[in-house]
Amino acid sequence: MANEIKHSRILSRRNFLRTAIITGVGGAFSSHLISALADDVITLPFANGERRLAKFPQKRPLILQTSRPPQLETPFSVFNESILTPNDAFFVRYHLSQIPTSIDPDAFRLNIKGDVKSPLSLSLTDLKTKFEATELVAVNQCSGNSRGFSQPRVAGGQSGNGAMGNARWKGVKLKDVLEKAGVGSSVKQVTFQGLDRPPLEKTPVFVKALDIDHALDGEVMVAYEMNGADLPMLNGYPLRLIVPGYYGTYWVKHVTDVTLVDDVLANFWMSTAYRIPDNGCACVEPGAPAGKTKPIERFNVRSFITSLADGAKISAGKEISVRGIAFDGGYGITSVRFSTDGGKTWREAALGENLGKYSFREWTCRFTPRKAGDYVLQVCATNRIGQSQPSSPLWNPAGYMRNVIESVRVTAA
Amino acid sequence: MKNQMRISKLRMVQRSSIVRVLIALAVVGAGVAALNADVMKIELPPETASFKPGPEGGIANAQCLTCHSVEYVQTQPPMPLAFWSAEVKKMRDKYAAPIPEDQMDQLAHYLAENYGTGAGGQPAAAPAVTDTTAQPASVQALATRYGCLSCHGVNVKIVGPAFHDVAVKYHNDPDAYQKIAAQVHGGGSGKWGSVLMPPFPMVTDAQTKMLADWILSQAGPAK
Repeated sequence: MANEIKHSRILSRRNFLRTAIITGVGGAFSSHLISALADDVITLPFANGERRLAKFPQKRPLILQTSRPPQLETPFSVFNESILTPNDAFFVRYHLSQIPTSIDPDAFRLNIKGDVKSPLSLSLTDLKTKFEATELVAVNQCSGNSRGFSQPRVAGGQSGNGAMGNARWKGVKLKDVLEKAGVGSSVKQVTFQGLDRPPLEKTPVFVKALDIDHALDGEVMVAYEMNGADLPMLNGYPLRLIVPGYYGTYWVKHVTDVTLVDDVLANFWMSTAYRIPDNGCACVEPGAPAGKTKPIERFNVRSFITSLADGAKISAGKEISVRGIAFDGGYGITSVRFSTDGGKTWREAALGENLGKYSFREWTCRFTPRKAGDYVLQVCATNRIGQSQPSSPLWNPAGYMRNVIESVRVTAA
Repeated sequence: MKNQMRISKLRMVQRSSIVRVLIALAVVGAGVAALNADVMKIELPPETASFKPGPEGGIANAQCLTCHSVEYVQTQPPMPLAFWSAEVKKMRDKYAAPIPEDQMDQLAHYLAENYGTGAGGQPAAAPAVTDTTAQPASVQALATRYGCLSCHGVNVKIVGPAFHDVAVKYHNDPDAYQKIAAQVHGGGSGKWGSVLMPPFPMVTDAQTKMLADWILSQAGPAK
């Protein structure tokens, strides 16, 4: 159990340093010096988990995974602030370093091409005025969210649990755009490319594909708004593909090129990367090779406690309301169970407002620690088709799709 | 209660005057803003970190930082040599990093020693870069050895500026050589954007002179 710390425990060094400096030398230092010394650091609870908090454009300080290309993780406490993740706290993940830093929205075009009756080149104004607007609340989650917890450890971005976010997306159904162009009769897939490019000519360009039926399902959309505002640049301004319930690898940012093809895209990003073991659990024995693989698709079921961090102190004999979030790949969360004894006994949590089957779903549960001592709190969600979460972690070589039942250890005194 | 109301009223007054100022600023600034109405521009924070020093650190700086910042390595879990060898091979084979064959082993050893659990022995290949004093036959060979051409095209910007652009900026500058030498030996970011050029302290003065002369000779019209 000691190793099963699943919750990002955040130790802020800034407060410690501030306090130390202020109590140590009084007002002798200018605030400039204090902030220069107090580079915020947090520690994700796995080996080599120390990270800097860094300020990027349009973002509050976020967990710096990498700076070029930017990979920024949302500090876990943000998920207790609101069910919709604020734009300035939403995680960032690019693959290739040549990312756009200047975009003229008047010149921006979405090109629909390939096997279509009439290719389209749509401006943002076209999208906003010639098509019906649609809105959807949906979680975006990195395939490698929580990869840092993989045991044995695996290569890749070493995220805690904050490479996810929930937003209200507004835009146009991809179906409407594709039908306006006229889908050719032998189209098998639709490919998507944005403005990001590799630094070297031979590095594989980032292009992803969806099957045509999926692209036409009326839920996949191109979004020009996120939580009622333009998308932040680092989240795909001015237009991003939204693939509800699917991992973030498909949510192509700054999307410009939509190509209808008569075969199945077999590039690096579909055929080599982002693949999971082709079996029911997307897992293999820890340390074993992946065997036969398939492209990653929908999220599995996850749930988190957000109102208490690992190591929190609570009052014995006093009732509290414990709160958190649950989500899945789009069947919808139907039940969340909560345990205060490390999973020996469970009770139903109350579900909060339903913002749609692709959204975070809030849950709450009352808890009175009768006696002083340590408690292992756990949470486990189930979706409409009965999928739930495993009590011990599933493993695959890429560190994708972690969804073990999370534990938070608290002490009542 | 009364106090609270007073405070909130006061806040409202302050807020409305802020709004007024903002409106006034917007009106004054409208002409300027209209020039490039809504172009979305961001400035990424400058990159500052490079690899731990040492001769093989030079290989890592030259080969790895072409495509990504150092945190890609720094944040990996503590892992043995086999892990780092596999990563180096993946970078070459899957992402087309132009790592010379004779540097593969050295690079993996360097990474395991400095960012992993140790390499447990010397690399199999003879060190290729440690003999930094040897003068190569051509300046192109020199530029290739240190990975200059991975980031700088002669006429096109790749990650760093094109050598043509560097030459245009400095060819009339009496301190051109010193500036280029300082950049080669010390690296840095901010002159051409946020991307970091790693330091190459192992480049000898004679080699730096050879590189600088060649770079500065590219000032003519781009080919």
